[in-house]
Amino acid sequence: MTAVAVEHLTKRYGHFAAVDDISFEVRGGQLVAVLGPNGAGKTTTLEMLEGFIAPTSGTVRVLGTDPYRGSRAWRARIGLVLQSTSLDAELTVRDTLSLFARLYPAPRPVREALELAGLTDDADARVGVLSGGQRRRVDLAVGIIGRPDVLFLDEPTTGLDPEARRRTWAGVENLTTTGTTVLLTTHYADEADHLADRVMVLSGGRITADTTPRELRARGGPATIRYPLPDRATPASLPATLAAHVDGDGRTLVIRTPDLTAPLRDLADWASQHCLDLSGLEVGPPSLEEAYLAAIGEPLTPEVSVHGR
Amino acid sequence: MADSASPAASRLPGAGILLAAQIRYQIRLLLSSGRAVAVGIGLPVILLVASKGSAKGSHPNVAGYAVFGVTITAWTSYGVRLVAAREAGVLKRWRATPLPRWCYFLGAITATALVAVMAGAVTVAAAVVFYGTHFDDGPGTRLTQSAALAILVALVVAAFAWAATATALTSVISTIDAAFPILILTYFPVIIVSGVLFTINEPHWLSTLATYLPAQPLIDAVIRAVQHRPGAPFLPARDMAVLASWAVGGLLAAVLLFRWEPHRPAQRRAARMGP
Repeated sequence: MTAVAVEHLTKRYGHFAAVDDISFEVRGGQLVAVLGPNGAGKTTTLEMLEGFIAPTSGTVRVLGTDPYRGSRAWRARIGLVLQSTSLDAELTVRDTLSLFARLYPAPRPVREALELAGLTDDADARVGVLSGGQRRRVDLAVGIIGRPDVLFLDEPTTGLDPEARRRTWAGVENLTTTGTTVLLTTHYADEADHLADRVMVLSGGRITADTTPRELRARGGPATIRYPLPDRATPASLPATLAAHVDGDGRTLVIRTPDLTAPLRDLADWASQHCLDLSGLEVGPPSLEEAYLAAIGEPLTPEVSVHGR
Repeated sequence: MADSASPAASRLPGAGILLAAQIRYQIRLLLSSGRAVAVGIGLPVILLVASKGSAKGSHPNVAGYAVFGVTITAWTSYGVRLVAAREAGVLKRWRATPLPRWCYFLGAITATALVAVMAGAVTVAAAVVFYGTHFDDGPGTRLTQSAALAILVALVVAAFAWAATATALTSVISTIDAAFPILILTYFPVIIVSGVLFTINEPHWLSTLATYLPAQPLIDAVIRAVQHRPGAPFLPARDMAVLASWAVGGLLAAVLLFRWEPHRPAQRRAARMGP
């Protein structure tokens, strides 16, 4: 089942294209992250999917319906979390959820929404006294109270501290077990990596990558071995396969390689022969952050433009 | 987790139930903020009590203070709240739900009218406590049950008119900082020329103008109700027609102008424009 279908979607403000001819589909049950820097067109795209703004050209279908003309019945199947908290501060968390639950034909029990969002302990607190992270989770709980088929999350963790982000992630992860299709925007590569089955990188209003986090990471280049040479080690003693990778200051070995086995074996043998300690050794996977930066920095070329069609 | 997607369960809730829930919700918000209560009830009652000592031999301005409580609640307290809710994205959030849009709208206006009328009723009740039921100018004036009912009707229509017109006006107020001065500057001139708080000597054209604004006809209606003479209608037709016109006109303008989304910060688009 296709939950979201976007064809040649464009939104212009005057001569400026906030979203520039993008196309993609999202299957039911997928968790897709739209990753991009500020001003990339993430929120504009999401607002067209949510029905807040009409496209300049192209088509959008969410659950088979044009969102801008979505009926009440359609809105009952959509959940959303806006970019900033948007709830009345005076009500308690529980009352807020009860209020919104009444709008839907088959709402989740309030208790269940509280559990999914990790808010059980805060149920009787007024929204106004909660921390930023807790409020975002109230937004999330309100977003899922109607048991939506599709949930849109606009930067659900921007501005939160690491612990609050983790707790919000846990709330989103809980949803994936319910079969809800989730489309979230973020400018954190680690968030996309942690949560999503699929990552779309948006830059300058265009999709510059549309793939899995693993494949995107692979585009960030090979894995890296980094080893600061101990004081008593001389670069000249290194075998030829490693000596070529000593960096400019002559004191650090930096090897970027798709195959870690051979250089690590050579390094271990050399250290063993010279009775050297390997405790400063770092071996890192390809970084999603680097892949993401490459995807937003590079011009749109057929090699990096992978539309999900 | 029970999946309750049966045909009966998938039916959307009826508009009547939703509207009633919206009215309850909006009343709760207005009362819980404290501002509406302090300004709409506290201020008129203080003015009423304060005038007791200074009003020897004359009669307190009960009608004026009651109208003051009703109108300041339905205009200023409500208007500031509505702008704050819109700019915080609360209205946008509601718009994305299956709530029929008119339901939010009508719920907010109706709840405001009810709270405003309550503010007016408390002022009248306080006046009865302090002055008894003979509290207005003229011989034989008395707050009878019929007069109280007539006053209630007039207050409801007027509160609706003020709240509907405030809804329309708030659509063009772009920030919460601007809301208070704009709502106050559009409010006090009207109630001053209408003689709500005190009587002023004003040119004829101004007093004529006041009869077309939604404050003076309300005072007139309240005074006529307590000065009622047998055989005369309880509510003056012309005054009620003016108030009803403001209610209908305000509602139409509100429907045409109403804005759900915050006025976007300019920097958001500017940041994207780039070179």
